[in-house]
Amino acid sequence: MNVTMKNQSTSLAEAKPRIRVVDADVHHNIRDKSDLYPYLANNERKRLEEHGIPRNTSLYQANGGWKGARADTFDAGEEVDPRSNFDMFQKKLLDACNVDVAILQVESTPSLVALADIDYSAALIRAINDWSLEHWVARDARYRLSLTIPMQDPAMAVKEIERLGGHPAVIAAYVVCGSPRLYGKREFDPIYAACVDHGLALSLHFSNEGFGMNPPPTAAGFPSYYGETYLIRPQFYQAHLSSFLFEGTFEKFPKLKVVCCESGFGWVPAFRWRADVAWKELRWQTPWVKRLPSEYLEEHVRFTTQPFEESEPPGAVDEIVGWMNGAKTLMYSSDFPHWDFDPPESIPSRLGPLVRRQILAENALGTYPKLAGLVGAGTG
Amino acid sequence: MPTAHPVCKVSEMPPGSRKLVTIGGRDIGVFRLEDGRYFGLRNRCPHRGAPLCAGRLMGLVTAERPYQLLRQREGEILRCPWHGWEFDLTTGRSVFMPEGVRVKSYPVRVQDALEPAVDKFEVTESEGIVVLWIE
Repeated sequence: MNVTMKNQSTSLAEAKPRIRVVDADVHHNIRDKSDLYPYLANNERKRLEEHGIPRNTSLYQANGGWKGARADTFDAGEEVDPRSNFDMFQKKLLDACNVDVAILQVESTPSLVALADIDYSAALIRAINDWSLEHWVARDARYRLSLTIPMQDPAMAVKEIERLGGHPAVIAAYVVCGSPRLYGKREFDPIYAACVDHGLALSLHFSNEGFGMNPPPTAAGFPSYYGETYLIRPQFYQAHLSSFLFEGTFEKFPKLKVVCCESGFGWVPAFRWRADVAWKELRWQTPWVKRLPSEYLEEHVRFTTQPFEESEPPGAVDEIVGWMNGAKTLMYSSDFPHWDFDPPESIPSRLGPLVRRQILAENALGTYPKLAGLVGAGTG
Repeated sequence: MPTAHPVCKVSEMPPGSRKLVTIGGRDIGVFRLEDGRYFGLRNRCPHRGAPLCAGRLMGLVTAERPYQLLRQREGEILRCPWHGWEFDLTTGRSVFMPEGVRVKSYPVRVQDALEPAVDKFEVTESEGIVVLWIE
């Protein structure tokens, strides 16, 4: 009797697929604006037909790769955006890299959330979220959606979370760094409350700095070249994280998780140290911040790995991983199909099999509340 | 001792085309430039292992002084499809660090089909075959 019971429970546990790789940052997109027509009311549809998807870039810089994507992903020809090629994603990302869970963050989001016309923005966002669920998530069980929300209008953002946040495959709210206001400001609190209520992490990704109605990407205006833009990204995240820390966001929302996507992570240890120094010296100004900032960061904030730091000597980056407790705070991402893609092998085996498994899958399963039921390959 | 490896008939590689071959477990890209020259390059980027030969060909872009852009040798620089590392197709050396970072390059010649090593192609007298040499 006992033996039978034991066997049953063993086979049940084995039946659950083990998660080897969670990819926290993947960028799909519509093939054409007409993909969104079925999801729009007549008036918005007519406007989209006439004007297309707005591209609110206030500066032009050449991107890397080929048209910003890996040059070996134009499987359907030069004219088909690899981001819109569902079959190619399955072959060259999910299958080729053993990705068991891929978190989609739609390529068009920055253009849609930079619009000052909040009703039109929200309509396009609803359309692209519905389209993503129907045409990507529903067609492959490995996909999850990071829900685009109109962050420029917190009330509308909450509405979108309430509309789709309960969907089992919607596991995060997708937000870009470019914003007229820092995200720790209390006007954004209802969004974080809605995220926690619906079991969503907040996924923060650079973009839109200096676009549309947003301030310039640096305190001294606009850089000329993409290489500069590439280098200055950490400050976007540092600004919002400082804001979260000192506004007390993590005191107000003890369950909130923030994922910094494509931020790099070499800067994180120094940021943690400096934040702790600032708190010790200036604590009396923000006494609602009860703990060391490094403790909040370790509990609430995760960093995706791509682009994985390349140090000289190569092993030096391992020290950084240790200083930021990367075994807990780093999560693998590929950024597929962008040109600066990282395969899972980018996580060096030097870190050891345990830390590697943490970074490739386990940390994500512990971060996104809706992934908590999945079993990692390294568990047990 | 160098070994000869037939790739294809000349007519199967028009100017500006490339072919991928596997020889002894190694993937190698064979390129025919617009001007008729041929080059072979290992299809693996030393950076992250990307399929290098799926990259785009470009020119060598240099600047003697800031902002004085010069673009020459169009089509002779292979840019990795992933992170954009540039390699000189004619030597296998990287553009940013020619001495330290390079990929294996192989000589490619057009030959008659007379040598035993390459005799498996049926060719007419007027048409040669593309042969890659591994030393």
